[in-house]
Amino acid sequence: MQTRLYGWAAFPALLLVWSVAAWNLPPYVLPQPWAVAAEAVRWLDSGQLAAHVGASLLREAGGFAVAVLGALALGLAGALSQGFRAFSAPLTGLFMAIPPIAWAPLSMIFFGLGYVAITMVIVVAALFPMAVTVQEGFLAIRNGNLRAARVLGARRWQLIRYVYLPASLPFLTAALRIGFSQAWRALVAAEMLGASQGIGWMVAMGGQIGNATQVLLGVAIIGMTAWITESLVFRRIERRYRHWHLA
Amino acid sequence: MDCEILTSPSDSRIGALSGDRSGGAAFQVDGVDFSYDGTHPVFRSLALTARPGEFVALLGPSGCGKTTLLNLLSGFLPPSSGRITIDGETVTPEMPALGYVFQSPQLFPWLDVLDNVRFGLRMTGRLRDAEQRDKAMAALALVGLEAAAGKFPHQLSGGMQQRVALARVLVLEPRLLLMDEPFAALDAITRATLNEELLRLCGRLGQTVLFITHDVEEAVFLADRVVLLDIAPAGIHSELAIDLPRPRRLRETRRLERFTTLTDTLLERISAIVAAA
Repeated sequence: MQTRLYGWAAFPALLLVWSVAAWNLPPYVLPQPWAVAAEAVRWLDSGQLAAHVGASLLREAGGFAVAVLGALALGLAGALSQGFRAFSAPLTGLFMAIPPIAWAPLSMIFFGLGYVAITMVIVVAALFPMAVTVQEGFLAIRNGNLRAARVLGARRWQLIRYVYLPASLPFLTAALRIGFSQAWRALVAAEMLGASQGIGWMVAMGGQIGNATQVLLGVAIIGMTAWITESLVFRRIERRYRHWHLA
Repeated sequence: MDCEILTSPSDSRIGALSGDRSGGAAFQVDGVDFSYDGTHPVFRSLALTARPGEFVALLGPSGCGKTTLLNLLSGFLPPSSGRITIDGETVTPEMPALGYVFQSPQLFPWLDVLDNVRFGLRMTGRLRDAEQRDKAMAALALVGLEAAAGKFPHQLSGGMQQRVALARVLVLEPRLLLMDEPFAALDAITRATLNEELLRLCGRLGQTVLFITHDVEEAVFLADRVVLLDIAPAGIHSELAIDLPRPRRLRETRRLERFTTLTDTLLERISAIVAAA
């Protein structure tokens, strides 16, 4: 018996439900999918869509990059030093318990409205979950592999480069994926609070002026950007190590 | 199960692998005490020496501290007192003269077989890429696995993996090989084949070998001398010289009356150790 896979039907089903619901509601509350598509074309033609998406991606890239570097450093330090691990665990737990958007007002007082303020919120959002995953990855490395590398002449830095890094690649990819999505969520939220452009701003502004079409367009773009990054970038990296990780 | 036929590499390949054939290192354990917690000694005034090129099998009942002993011998653990030296130098895990084969192959799963064997050469970084490749291939030829160079560890059988692990160590031309029950996890046929293989390699490369095992017949078949370990806290119970002729072949050697006498002697002594405990 072959299992039938209905993955292909998911998005059409969603659109259908949306459309049926929109049929029974006034268009200023829930517009039809094609109305949103027409709105997308208008925004595209005016060049506004590219400007907003570009602004958001720029912030995401900056904040995510800083968070990756920070998470690698924290995760590595935690894996190598038991003392540091014990010291950082409560702090990481605390910071992970605070929703990143709660930092946004403070960040804006500190850095003023603009690129840095929003980027800092992203860094805080992505850094800690990534650091924890990176550390777990390094700790999961088999002690035997480390010993083998040592008797084969690897020194401390070589252990990091030639054993810790490749052996923890599955965890690193997972960390990147988690970090990117956390950063993306925080970005949209922060933009809704204090930005003059970006996808988050687009959604917030749509809400304020009562334009449900603009809101739905923004939401769709937010979802699709995250989904495309996930399946195009991170799933591909995962496929590269799959052959030995599953063995 | 391993069914592959072992190839006999030509002498020129081995020449390429061991440039200078200075042979084995002298190994000395001198009055070593060790304890994990400072109160319960695991070893007390342990003394053990190996002549250059000698094959010493360390045999002991389980629980006698074989793993601890190997950690000491390889420098992973420092002795509480006493000294462990290779050619007069205090031993450390990174010492280039030392080769260590673990009970499980411990191959790096993200590297193919050739890169696993090359690993040690890359760490020292003294050779160019092409030279590293040549040496690694020569080492693979020594264990009859040239054809597997492009495969990944999980594609190999347990016996083949352990051979790769051996090649990975041999490529560095160690003068002392520490082997921690390297074939214990393998099936009987593979194990017997690898025992013969190991003797052939040692005969040609001439390193000193310390081979830990709990298998009496394996110890007698391989070694020049069998050292019996007492149950902890203790040192060495006794030694037995193995005066079987070389080269040894599995079927012929095991049929010798002397082989039976030697294994019987050892089995009796082990029973005595266990009974006294």
